[in-house]
Amino acid sequence: MSGALPAPLALRLARGLRTGTAAAATVMAYLAGWNYIACALFITADVVGRQFGYSSASTIEITGYMLATGIAWGLAHALARRAHIRVDVWVNRLPLKLRAVLHLLALLLLGGFAAFCAWSALALVDESLLFDAHDNSALRVPLVVPQGIWTFGILAFCVMILMLALECALSLLLGRPEELDRLLGARTLEDETAEALEAVEMARGGAAR
Amino acid sequence: MIAVVLLLVLLGVAVFAAATGGQAVPVVEILALTGAFLVFFGAGVYIAAVLGLLGILIGLTFSDRPWWAFAGQTLWGPSSNFVLVAVPLFLLMGEILLRAGLSDRLYRALNVWLNRLPGGLLHTNIASCAVFSAISGSSVATAATMGSVALPYFNNSAYSQRMVLGSLAAGGALGNLIPPGITFIIYGLITETSVGALYIAALLPSILVTGLFILVILAHGLTHPLPRPERLPLAVKLRALLDLVPTLLLMALVLGSIYAGFATPTEAAALGVVGAAFFAAAEGRLTLRLLNASAEATARNTALLGLIIFGAYLLNYLLTAINVPQTLAGFIGGLPLPPWAIMACILALYLALGTFMEGFSMIITTVPVVFPIVTALGYDPIWFGVMVTMLVEIAQVSPPDGTVMYVLQGMRPRAGPITDVFVGVVPFLAAYLLAVVLMMIWPEIALWLPRVMG
Amino acid sequence: QVPASLPAGPKVTVVAVTQPLPTQPQYTRVDIPILREQVGQRSGGRIEVQLSTHAERNLSGTELVRLVRSGQADIAAATLTTLSGDVPILDGVDLAGLAPEIGVARRIAEAMLPVVNRDLERFGARLMVIYPFPAQVVFCRQPFASLSELRGRKVRTFGNSLVDFFTAWGAQPVSIGFPEVYSALERGVVDCAITGTGSGVAARWPEVTTHVSNLPVSWALAGYMVNVAWWNRLDPQVRSFIEAALREVNDKQWELGAAATRDGLDCAIGNAAACRIHTLAARPMTEVPATEADRAAVREILEKTVLPGFVRRCGARCGEVFNQVIAPIVGVRAGG
Ligand code: NA
Ligand code: NA
Repeated sequence: MSGALPAPLALRLARGLRTGTAAAATVMAYLAGWNYIACALFITADVVGRQFGYSSASTIEITGYMLATGIAWGLAHALARRAHIRVDVWVNRLPLKLRAVLHLLALLLLGGFAAFCAWSALALVDESLLFDAHDNSALRVPLVVPQGIWTFGILAFCVMILMLALECALSLLLGRPEELDRLLGARTLEDETAEALEAVEMARGGAAR
Repeated sequence: MIAVVLLLVLLGVAVFAAATGGQAVPVVEILALTGAFLVFFGAGVYIAAVLGLLGILIGLTFSDRPWWAFAGQTLWGPSSNFVLVAVPLFLLMGEILLRAGLSDRLYRALNVWLNRLPGGLLHTNIASCAVFSAISGSSVATAATMGSVALPYFNNSAYSQRMVLGSLAAGGALGNLIPPGITFIIYGLITETSVGALYIAALLPSILVTGLFILVILAHGLTHPLPRPERLPLAVKLRALLDLVPTLLLMALVLGSIYAGFATPTEAAALGVVGAAFFAAAEGRLTLRLLNASAEATARNTALLGLIIFGAYLLNYLLTAINVPQTLAGFIGGLPLPPWAIMACILALYLALGTFMEGFSMIITTVPVVFPIVTALGYDPIWFGVMVTMLVEIAQVSPPDGTVMYVLQGMRPRAGPITDVFVGVVPFLAAYLLAVVLMMIWPEIALWLPRVMG
Repeated sequence: QVPASLPAGPKVTVVAVTQPLPTQPQYTRVDIPILREQVGQRSGGRIEVQLSTHAERNLSGTELVRLVRSGQADIAAATLTTLSGDVPILDGVDLAGLAPEIGVARRIAEAMLPVVNRDLERFGARLMVIYPFPAQVVFCRQPFASLSELRGRKVRTFGNSLVDFFTAWGAQPVSIGFPEVYSALERGVVDCAITGTGSGVAARWPEVTTHVSNLPVSWALAGYMVNVAWWNRLDPQVRSFIEAALREVNDKQWELGAAATRDGLDCAIGNAAACRIHTLAARPMTEVPATEADRAAVREILEKTVLPGFVRRCGARCGEVFNQVIAPIVGVRAGG
């Protein structure tokens, strides 16, 4: 069916899916980031509270779960922003066609690893359900809750990889390797600079106001 | 890189076992794996995926147990570990300080005091990085923060661009060595050593390294003299000290809370975040936009570290399950070499890995294998923790691959080739290596202070 | 008790993950000589036990039931309270204040073994042996004459029943990872901490604390589990050989538990003549003898706080099991 459609439409559809997923991933990453801010406040409250004889007695467990959530929920966004680390010193010197194929290969291998992680995470949740497992903190949190939230983040990462792979494969098939390179290629110096300057700008901008 | 090295090591052990033991060794399989992973690296596959897939393949090839049934637990353990919570918190603190412009005030204040030394502003680069390192636990955050502040001061100046970039990269490489530091936290987690003791042990070595950096700049300043800026009145200098106050207070909060018995190292990182936000608010810059941007950057950087942790822990689990670290430790311990020679080999291995590898992935993949050997040789775990941290820092600034150098290159206001950074960092790299040699000869540099204080 | 020989047959490789650290006497004085060496020699090399510790396998201890269940290890040992998140009834074997001396702890352990196995076997694991660590006692950086003086102090604890126990004394439970406890005591992040007498000495706590109580609060009871499917698949001769070896491990661990409890205290207080298992403390501590009032208070706290807390977390069925099996031994009933 899709083969009958004009080629750019299929690509546009894939692009729409990818940008949509990336937008959702960004929302998740902001939540992950704010979760760290909450984590800092929570630990601070516990340290201060301890001086006055009050402690949640679950800080270690809860903040551990917050870290797990933060890591998992940031994975997809980091991929969309091309932040995950690759050894790409050699790849970037290859001709565009070959480079594009290798980008896709790298993404598919990452997909394989991510799928394994997601499967393991689901199996872990399943096992915790079987055990009806709780942690040893005062709150006795059922482990399926934090582990389920964590697993959701890893699943979102898999979806992000899938959408990217779909668009990349289409670009390659349609003979547009430069678009693939833009999606997966190394972050250029301009990207890095723009990011650093944005942060410095904020520092300076604050002074002007 | 590490994957290839590990495979080669595995191959070596297997061949050795075959030569001595008599069990059939799957040499062909190992060679095929090595080949596959050379291709993976050449093809620019994600580090986490290479580590994880290598683990999976090792499991499928060498383990006769259903190891996959335990993989979820292997990933969940480090994900939810309280000790690692310090990592995003230090990153978050750095992001807030950077965006609030506090680092700029720190730089200007130090500059007033240091700019008449031979080498001038370059000293400020090192000093401000060192001071910032005493609040931040991350080298990349230190280099990014101080680099973005310092580089504009050198626009259209007569300073050697290479020395400017080199000194900032070297300063960034103090970020983890000067306590607090993420490397110590990870090392403490893997080896069950006290992070607090590691922090104390790192104090003298970090002073040593900073001192050597200052000597490098003095030597450069004396051989390449520049006109000295005018002497400033003492009143101006004293007033500049006021600008140091927020940073010093934050330092007192983070380190002081640990040593005063108010908080553990992880908790101190949380206090640091709240403190940084407080000073940002005092400057009138604590906006929703600032927090939002800091949150996003922290989430992104923690996720990329987290993914590597996934891969590394999976690989570690399978290597341990088939007894590689134990076999290796036994083999190396039985070599007819004195302990110091074996230690020198281990350190050389770290240096070699460091030229290609990113420091964080290096420590997390190698320490579990190397640590049993080190303790079996009779070396102090605390001393080795400081050594590993120094070598990881060297990895960050050793060409051709080093995050700190890339970050600085990305921030240069005036374009230029990355080789500028590479060349500029070399004298500082030599100084860092000298410090490693001194630590090897006199381990007391690290061990004296913990003993006196304990 | 390890049989003198085993008839020839196909080789059996057993993966065993025991004890938290490779330096612990439970590992060096029992596991290595019996499980690794004697089993290997007397079976004529037919059984090879690949032995390692939690630390070497990068495990925290809470996940050991899952390790055995998934077949990663054939035999695994871990403390019961750390496993109680997955199998809550295990907590009941070693409640804070339950066993004032080691003989009582052993009788409880033996009575509870078949009972907890009813729960564990649903998950494909079976406890073969329950054994003790040295008595868990309180180390403090300031003097105290009775546990009642812990009121208002920050005490590093682990596990729910200890949290309930110290809260009842008016102390403030703090949770810190074991490697950080030394510096936390040194700098006063916490005032006191509880651990085994020998473990405290091994972790150099006498350098940072001054007083140690000799009142056993609990025994950090631990157990060796086997994977049931693997166990049932074993050649019957091999199975009874290993079973006999585990029985010897059981006896040796209880002997060691009793000896190491006193030895840890002697090492801590600088009694060089009696300090044989652990290393002598450079800075001798003061031993705080348990008073009769303390013992009475411990019993009351068990009855009023610790036991109801356990039943609340574990469910009414656990209370019934407790009343059936443990109450006749200790004379304290749940919900009564
Ligand atoms: Na630092
Ligand atoms: Na490097």
